[in-house]
Amino acid sequence: MTWTNIKLILIRELKDQLRDRRTLFTVVVLPLLLYPLLGLSLIQITQFFREHPVTIWVVGAGNLPTDPPLIRGEEVASEWLPENQASLVRLAISPVDEHGFCEIFDRFRRAQESEGTLELIDQWIQQQMAQRKVDLTVVIPRPVDADVADASLAPKPNAYMLTSSASDKSRIALERWQSVLNRWQLALFERRLAERQMTMADALPVRFEVMDVARKAERNSAAWSKILPLLIMVWCLTGAFYPAVDLCAGEKERGTFETLLSSPASRSEIALGKLLTVIVFSIATAVLNLASLTITTTFVMSKLSHLAGGPLGVAALGPPPLLSVFWLVLAMVPVAALFGAVSLAAAAFARSSKEGQYYLVPLIMVSMPLMILPMLPATQLDLGTSLIPVTNVMLLLRSLIEGSFDPVLRYSVVVILVTLLGVAAAVRWVVYQFNSEGVLFRASERFGIGAWLSFVLQHRGDLPTVGHALLCGVLILLAKFFVSFGVGVPDDWYEFGRQTFVILLATVAVPAVLMATILTRRPLLSLRLTWCRPSFIAAAMFLAVCFHPAFATLSRIILAIYPPAHDLAALHGLIENLLASTPPVWLLLLVLAVMPALLEELAFRGFILSGAQGVKNQWLAVAIASFFFGAAHAVFQQSLLTFFVGIVLGFLAVRTGSLLPCIAYHAVHNSLTVLGANLAGSQWLSSFEWLLSVGERGGISYHVGPALFMTVTGGCLLYWMWKETSRADIKNFDFSRLGRFCNQLRGVYQDLA
Amino acid sequence: MIHVRNLTKIYNGFQEGDFVALGGISFDAMPGQVFGLLGPNGAGKSTAMRILSTVLKPTSGIALVNGYEVTESPSDVRRQIGFVSVNTMIYDRMTAWEMVELFGRLNGMNEDELQLRMERLFDRFQMNGMRNLLGSKMSTGMKQKVSIVRALVHDPPVLIFDEATSGLDVLAAREVFRSVEELRDEGKCVIYSSHIMSEISRLCNLVAIMNRGRIVAAGSLQQLADEHEVHDAEELFYELIAQSEREHSSLAMRNG
Repeated sequence: MTWTNIKLILIRELKDQLRDRRTLFTVVVLPLLLYPLLGLSLIQITQFFREHPVTIWVVGAGNLPTDPPLIRGEEVASEWLPENQASLVRLAISPVDEHGFCEIFDRFRRAQESEGTLELIDQWIQQQMAQRKVDLTVVIPRPVDADVADASLAPKPNAYMLTSSASDKSRIALERWQSVLNRWQLALFERRLAERQMTMADALPVRFEVMDVARKAERNSAAWSKILPLLIMVWCLTGAFYPAVDLCAGEKERGTFETLLSSPASRSEIALGKLLTVIVFSIATAVLNLASLTITTTFVMSKLSHLAGGPLGVAALGPPPLLSVFWLVLAMVPVAALFGAVSLAAAAFARSSKEGQYYLVPLIMVSMPLMILPMLPATQLDLGTSLIPVTNVMLLLRSLIEGSFDPVLRYSVVVILVTLLGVAAAVRWVVYQFNSEGVLFRASERFGIGAWLSFVLQHRGDLPTVGHALLCGVLILLAKFFVSFGVGVPDDWYEFGRQTFVILLATVAVPAVLMATILTRRPLLSLRLTWCRPSFIAAAMFLAVCFHPAFATLSRIILAIYPPAHDLAALHGLIENLLASTPPVWLLLLVLAVMPALLEELAFRGFILSGAQGVKNQWLAVAIASFFFGAAHAVFQQSLLTFFVGIVLGFLAVRTGSLLPCIAYHAVHNSLTVLGANLAGSQWLSSFEWLLSVGERGGISYHVGPALFMTVTGGCLLYWMWKETSRADIKNFDFSRLGRFCNQLRGVYQDLA
Repeated sequence: MIHVRNLTKIYNGFQEGDFVALGGISFDAMPGQVFGLLGPNGAGKSTAMRILSTVLKPTSGIALVNGYEVTESPSDVRRQIGFVSVNTMIYDRMTAWEMVELFGRLNGMNEDELQLRMERLFDRFQMNGMRNLLGSKMSTGMKQKVSIVRALVHDPPVLIFDEATSGLDVLAAREVFRSVEELRDEGKCVIYSSHIMSEISRLCNLVAIMNRGRIVAAGSLQQLADEHEVHDAEELFYELIAQSEREHSSLAMRNG
């Protein structure tokens, strides 16, 4: 691969795109015109903006205290209304007994107290309000002063505001009425205190006032920090997608793709040249949009300052701070690379530009949750969120724009690493797509499920493919997700055991075994059910013992970084109680160690790893299998730990070629964890005081010296296995040979008979 | 120069099943020769050409181009060939000069050499008037001229013409024929595919007649005519294809 060819293709594509009027319009003209035009339109529209008055129906106004009066004549007394709202609150006054409203309302209220909301009466009240064209109904059923005299009624509400939260106008009416009430009630309170020769200071010795210490620039940054990261993501995605479709599907359609493929540039060089073009356009779209937005907000929005706090909340917003713009531009590079690569890989699959456009919606559907997650108020940059692509960049940007550098310093390395990994994976996908003849020269075929199934069966290989492995992993995750809805917390230990077995069997082992049987010609080999040297099995068991201190420490570190949520801790507590109440240790080991070891290994190191090894890079294959192994554990902290355990198991599987050492390792690892939790305080465990101590919650922690020694021993053991399995004279036993041997025996027996 | 042995290409489709586009063809083509691949539509000529130009990968078999194997050293193979096909269009938003210049540069030519070669080629093909004309403004003949110059710019020893006169008028087609003859006389190895017998009989020293992914007859036209005792080229082509179809039908009937 040479940079010269990539550069040549990049320059060609850039020139080509810049000569395309559609691209120029979308990337350059649209953003430069759109925002100023929108701004100008906004100025025009605001001239017609005015606040509309609301009508409030007051039933039983006569029952209110009259000193000071809330209502004067047919209007709210002017002293309770803010200056600019004098004409915005209109009243419709009715006597208490109008059409028996109060009687029906009273019945409704009592029924509501006993039975909850009654929809029929809600409808009746809405009808009454609609007939009178009012937005809010205020009901004061009895004289209020009479209630005060009756001490038993005093704490209960004696006036009601009937509003419809489904109507914006009703909500505005409620806000305005509450603002009026607050002023009036304060005056009433002061008046009553005065009657009792008390002051406000006597009744309320502590009075708070809210003071906003944020500088204007900071308030501005905070507002932009929520909007700009999302806009940048959307601009980068759309800016990448349309050129990507034109560069792949468009070229196929115009017949120039084959011309380029017959040039000396390799497929990878073509893919990278096109990817760089897409990145340039993605960044250009985002930069031009950002520049146009900044200029518009500076020159146009300032004209709307008179509306600050009015119906256009956005008018209070100044232009985005320059430092924010710098961070945004910096973040655009990895984001554009990620979206560019994903768009290009998707577009390479399309046969025509029209088909390419269809892929935009699924791409947005996948990206949107990642873009919306950071917008949720509770989401902040921590180790968990910094591992989620796209979301992590948005949160990092938000923190940078807000000026809170503490989380940035702490997690920026993780965010950068995860983003770079994502970009690398996406770029690899693009290069793979360009190297795949099936993708580039895809012919249109009618899809029929029967024909497809027979095609799959006819063309199945000895071992599963990467696609089969990914499908199996996704099926297991989906099955676990849906089964988790149908399973409650077990009442007793036996039910827990049954549940665990059925869930593992149905959601993990069965999909893997079925897929191996249907989709491959050699199911036993696909599930890695081959014999291996007994010394490897023994070594794997010893390795599990040696590495247990390291994984116990890792588990504690993970729990310190991601403390379990309260409900999760409660659930754990429940299961721990359940287990503590169960005496037979052998049964515990069967359910929590042996069974998962057998069933999970069939799927993760068996079928999924066999298929994932199609990616050639064995470590990547191990990581894929470990990812699904981790994800299949519902608790996030456990998922992280099992991912790392999965790496060791994957190593054993790849090096020995057999599932048996994996099962042995898995069973011993789980057994040690179960025993550590279950035998806390027992006489048996106390004889290992030189090695470990038992924590308050039953977890074991190893002493540093022995733990280090064991880990180093484990490392040596791994090295030994590496060397041993590299020997050419090692031949694994194939279970199918056993079948052939049985057949031969049967033949001999039949001959003899 | 070009050695092809047992070249097969099978497309897997789940609706129509496996489609054998090439069923193990073998042939050799030498410098100073025009080797013609003749066959009806769907015979596998374009697939063979696309494999030789490394656009497609063969399912099995070997194809050597000037000593380089198409699956092992595709980039080296592409430097040895100039590929002109009915499927290799030119860019609408590039001028003739830019298009040829790009392919010269992709072939690693140095700038002075490239400019000199382009000047010569544009003179030879009388294209100076259309140097700055965008692809979208060119006629079909102009486009084909640009395609040929693009394929010749790096002076490759092997030229592959796949249905190169398809859609061209008589004058433009004559230009292509003249170019192919000149290239042959310059000592280039030319592979030329067509379904038009007159083109093949005018240009080719050797021909291979293809049908349903197989070579049904190969040799010089004179040899084939003598063998089958049919001296009209069109008639010969028709006879060979009809015979191949009859064999295919009887084989299909035997296989049920």
